[in-house]
Amino acid sequence: MEAEVIRAELVLPTHMSFKRIQMYEKYPKGQSKVRWKQLKQIIQAENYQNYDPDEPNYVNIESPPSMQPCKRICDITGFEAPYHDPRTNLRYANADVFKLVRSLPNEYVQRYLALRKAAVVLR
Amino acid sequence: MPFISKIERQTDYNRFPSSTPIVIDNGASYFRIGWAGETEPRVIFRNIIQRPRHKTTGETVTVVGDHDTALLRYFDCTRSGPRSAFDGNVVFQFEIMEYILDFAFDRLGANGSRIDHPILITECVCNPVQSRSKMAELLFETYGVPSVAFGVDAAFSYKYNQLRGICERDGLAICPGFTTTHVIPFVDGEPVYKGCSRTNIGGYHVTDNLKQLLSLKYPHHMARFTWEKIEDLKMEHCYIAPDYALEARLFQKGSKEAEDKTRCWQLPWVPPPIEEPPSEEEIARKAAIKERQGQRLREMAEAKRSSRINELENQLQGLEFLLQQLGQVQEEEIPSFLSKTGYVSKHEIESTITKVSQSLRKAKGEAKVEQAENEEKADSSDKYPLINIPDNMLTAEQLKEKKRQIFLKTTTEGRQRAKQKRVEEELEREKKNREDEERRLENPELYLEQMRTKYKELFEKVEQRKRLKTTNGGHANGNSSSGAVGRGERLNAAQRERMRLLTTAAFDRGKGEDNFGAKDEDWQLYKLMSKDNDDDDDGPDENEAELARVCSRLQEIDPTFVPKPETTPSQPTSAEIPRVRPLTKEDFQVVLGVERFRCPEILFRPNLVGIDQAGLDEMTGVSIRRLSTKNEALEDRLTSSIFMTGGCSLFPGINERLEAGVRMLRPCGSPIKVARASDPVLDAWRGASVFAANMQFQQQTFSRADYYEKGEDWLRHYQLRYTL
Repeated sequence: MEAEVIRAELVLPTHMSFKRIQMYEKYPKGQSKVRWKQLKQIIQAENYQNYDPDEPNYVNIESPPSMQPCKRICDITGFEAPYHDPRTNLRYANADVFKLVRSLPNEYVQRYLALRKAAVVLR
Repeated sequence: MPFISKIERQTDYNRFPSSTPIVIDNGASYFRIGWAGETEPRVIFRNIIQRPRHKTTGETVTVVGDHDTALLRYFDCTRSGPRSAFDGNVVFQFEIMEYILDFAFDRLGANGSRIDHPILITECVCNPVQSRSKMAELLFETYGVPSVAFGVDAAFSYKYNQLRGICERDGLAICPGFTTTHVIPFVDGEPVYKGCSRTNIGGYHVTDNLKQLLSLKYPHHMARFTWEKIEDLKMEHCYIAPDYALEARLFQKGSKEAEDKTRCWQLPWVPPPIEEPPSEEEIARKAAIKERQGQRLREMAEAKRSSRINELENQLQGLEFLLQQLGQVQEEEIPSFLSKTGYVSKHEIESTITKVSQSLRKAKGEAKVEQAENEEKADSSDKYPLINIPDNMLTAEQLKEKKRQIFLKTTTEGRQRAKQKRVEEELEREKKNREDEERRLENPELYLEQMRTKYKELFEKVEQRKRLKTTNGGHANGNSSSGAVGRGERLNAAQRERMRLLTTAAFDRGKGEDNFGAKDEDWQLYKLMSKDNDDDDDGPDENEAELARVCSRLQEIDPTFVPKPETTPSQPTSAEIPRVRPLTKEDFQVVLGVERFRCPEILFRPNLVGIDQAGLDEMTGVSIRRLSTKNEALEDRLTSSIFMTGGCSLFPGINERLEAGVRMLRPCGSPIKVARASDPVLDAWRGASVFAANMQFQQQTFSRADYYEKGEDWLRHYQLRYTL
């Protein structure tokens, strides 16, 4: 280790005196082999349907979809966008922006759409 | 930057008795830890870790929090991005959590064999039991903590501010956090989770949106848009517009106010050094140098020439002298005399003399072509005396001699013919040029037009040839003799021609019998076919030469003519702006106009980023609705004490916007008051600290024994009572 790295104490020391079980004992060979459950799996495993629906739980308190009418703004400039390009599926505000929209390569089009989660996702 | 990391190792760990709780605010953005009863957390850092590999030793180390990037150059950070223990606002990666807790306790100064203090740790609203239990397990098992309590950070913040009088006992707490936003109604000082509402949008999404927008708008500066920098920009420049449509229209019109609101970030840029046109002295100096060089070269050439002339003259003199001597010497002694000098006969001497005098004359600069020719002709008749004598009269030696002479004669004649042809071609060209000139002089316009069209045609032809070559050239080399008959596109023009000839030959016979080759003329077919790709390369040269000629001609006579650049075969991507002009200062400016209020707008309209949930103002309505009290007075009390906390509530203009939003939802005339926490960022920790310092805190915690006895179900129902 370089001197300045040690001085800055950048790295986490491997042995902590206050711990009962050290990291290297718990997880030999570096990374833990345990696959941690993602949030979706945790929620699934919770089985909230077995419990009283009135009781607040993680899924219950999520807010419903918005009732307000969806405001359409231009993907590129941010102004109000009454128009929609059928070819690229982007929203645009006026003719100049449209020129820009049509000149964009596909990569940028997909990235703009990804901002709104409207991009084509190939899994 | 308002958020600063504090990671100094504390030294006073041992001062605190075992009863003093440690308070942890485990947020998705920052981790804060400190002692109960204090006003500031001792250690603050970003809740992420990195596990880079050290470049030289190769071991994987853990780096917790946001660290000095300069020091990270010793590590290979390609495979290790920053990782968080959170998914949304729930902790799920407990290995990372352990690293973070390690670091936190270490910096708090922990020593001893276990953490011997009760711990109050924050969690999200309605934390799933699994996450809760794993956290409890981690704390009990690994750290040996005696007792643990879980609380919601927004509630702590609310209570703290309630003590301060910023909000009432009944109110709504709105907490736009890093990954999620919560609205929690408080009745009688206790949070009512039934009425709680959560939208999965937060500061992380705002920053991400801003980052993407800027990267798309300025693709060339993408490297500059790091997460930290964008967060800085967001905190400094972003605001919430009271009415999005109105602001957008302002900017669309390009009004003066819009100009004022536009902020411009100038990236560091050094103008390239201007190349001054060379001054007079420079030009003169360079010209002088060139002149001198030319002079030197000319002198050298001159010296060489004169030395050669001298040499030749000497040789000539010597030969003439020899001739003179020969004249004096008698007939009989000629052979012996000549053998000494190395010449066989007098004739040879004379021929050498003439040759030398010729070269001398050439060296002196008098080229007499006709004379040389005449000399040669004279030589030929003398040199080959044996040719004309028929064979049968010569001896064997003389026959050999004759053959040699014939050979020499034919070669020299061939050379002469070639020279003549060249001369003729020269004359032809001269004639053509003269004609051209005449044509030009008589009708310059027409001539120019003709030249231009010719140029265009030739250009087209050459381009096409090139295109064909590049598409077929790759395949054609070495493919000529392969049996790939069916692959029409692989063969180039010559091969196709060959195929065509062969097939026509095969078909011509027809009539069920293949008698190709019966007649001798059939084999002449093969003479028609080109051999491999030889011709292909020679062909376009002619066109290209013609093109070059026409081009130069046009350039001479037409001042407006610009030779068309050759189109490259590859298609340039249209994303690249052709840099035909030098880069200016403006190229390095990042303009934040609409983005300033477009990005925080997503807090109020998650639809803009595709998250189909209610925005902040709508959530208050949802929350009140979920409470489902028919008590109007309560609702009024709730809305008259709307409390904002959390990092995202620091955007300017959020209070007014929220008020306007809530007003739309509530009946006319109901009281609405929006207040912001005194310190939205740290108040959660402070509230927790105050809570933990309270005497009755110990009753709220649960110990390891409790945890194992009572099991998970009890843990599910475990809730703190915030009013003490």
